[in-house]
Amino acid sequence: MSRAVLFLCLAFLLAPLALVVVFSFGSNALIGFPLGGLTLRWYAGLAADPGFLSALRTSLVVAIATAAAATLTGALAAFGLVRAAPGLARAALGLASLPALLPPLVIAIALTALVVRGLGLSLGTPVVVAGHLLIAQPFVILIVLARLASLDPAAVEAARDLGATPAQAFRRVTLPQIRTALVGAALIAAAISLDEFIVASFTLGGGNTLATFVWGKMRTTLDPSINAIATLILALTIGLAALALRLTRYHG
Amino acid sequence: MTGRPALLLAPALIVVAAALLVPLALLFVVSFWTVRSFRLQPDLSLAAWVRFVESYGGLTLYTLGIAALIAAICVALGFACAYALRFRAGRHADALLTAMLISLFGGYLVKVYAWKTILGADGILNGALSRLGLIEAPLPWLLYSRTAVVVTLTHFLLPLAVLPIYAALRNVSAESVEAARDLGASRAAVLRRVLLPQCRLGVFAAFAFCFLLAAGDYVTPLLLGGAGGSMLGQFIALEFSTRFNWPAGAAMAFGLLFASLGALALVWAALARATRP
Repeated sequence: MSRAVLFLCLAFLLAPLALVVVFSFGSNALIGFPLGGLTLRWYAGLAADPGFLSALRTSLVVAIATAAAATLTGALAAFGLVRAAPGLARAALGLASLPALLPPLVIAIALTALVVRGLGLSLGTPVVVAGHLLIAQPFVILIVLARLASLDPAAVEAARDLGATPAQAFRRVTLPQIRTALVGAALIAAAISLDEFIVASFTLGGGNTLATFVWGKMRTTLDPSINAIATLILALTIGLAALALRLTRYHG
Repeated sequence: MTGRPALLLAPALIVVAAALLVPLALLFVVSFWTVRSFRLQPDLSLAAWVRFVESYGGLTLYTLGIAALIAAICVALGFACAYALRFRAGRHADALLTAMLISLFGGYLVKVYAWKTILGADGILNGALSRLGLIEAPLPWLLYSRTAVVVTLTHFLLPLAVLPIYAALRNVSAESVEAARDLGASRAAVLRRVLLPQCRLGVFAAFAFCFLLAAGDYVTPLLLGGAGGSMLGQFIALEFSTRFNWPAGAAMAFGLLFASLGALALVWAALARATRP
């Protein structure tokens, strides 16, 4: 019984995404069967669309900045958490995970209020990066923490006994063992940033990210090029996530 | 890495303080301000809160009801999926779990858009039904309705419900389930007396995730809800984008948040009572 539910749920989760991909290669402007001939027309149109290209550039800049910053702060926090007293660790982990629980709309308007009214600054990509850093950070912490918890502390102790400085022991013993987890966490952070729409739409000010570009098209017409952009977003985020899952060997 | 724990934790906690706690505190203060000719005036007024309760009280309750329905569906389906992944999937468990995790990504807007094309009047579902001769005219209630909002948000949130329940079920031994069955417990009794007490926290986490995110969503009801499926989040977003009434939006956002947390406290109490082993 439960197995049937699992397969039906997976079909329910994946089929709509598969449809979008299929229709992005169909020549019909209307979305519906029959599909029409196979075409790359919508992709060619995107490649020539300056609005799309600038949105893609903004999204990549924000995603890379988010991934770099979140991996740094998140990994440092994970190191701190395994060393901290249990009470402090629990409080700190709870506080750092808070952004994952709040609706993004609340985060978006609070951040907008601070930047515009509290600080008197203008909105823009740095504010989007700050918001995405906040949202991606807890996922980095959890991924790195899971890897650190699986390490054998005896290896570092052995290195120290053999005369390695703490910095040497970290660089030669700990780092090689967690490198894949760090890369995986960075990829997840980038995927979360590429996917994020609500914070980006409130705090970007002018211009577009991929998500806000799609939003603009969704609100006006049912433009078949949305299927092509959606497929690109799918390929980017799912590709990054799949790679990250392989690297981190994350199992739930 | 040799630094003191507090020093290592500092950057991440500073991010949370600067980008979340301080902004939330300011937003709370703003909810007591007033607006005169499109300019924010620092004030100590309850006007925005009174307006929230009087004009949006009903919509808030409706929003919480829809969110609770979506969260309940996600938890029920998520529990069945997690149970199958944990106890019934055998050697395919890893591949199936990966498929589940993958479906977490793929774009929030992409998912909303996909459902818009599936449920639309000339969408795939209506097209298929009419070609099969099951309907004569497109079913108008598929899109721009409460149903569309529930289906789409369930699609978006279901993987988030599966993961915490699966993590909790990994600590439940297959033997304890079998023992209960051998001793004559019915399936329902196993669920209520053996499984749920051991993974109560995971089930509650799944419910809380789905409930909070559904209650705060505004994109899905805006694009797919039509007139009958509106939710409070749309009106909060409106106060901040076009109406420029931040105090009203701030009071509504905190009102929704406080009401959601209150509702979750009730759910936790009910769950703890129902699953006492």
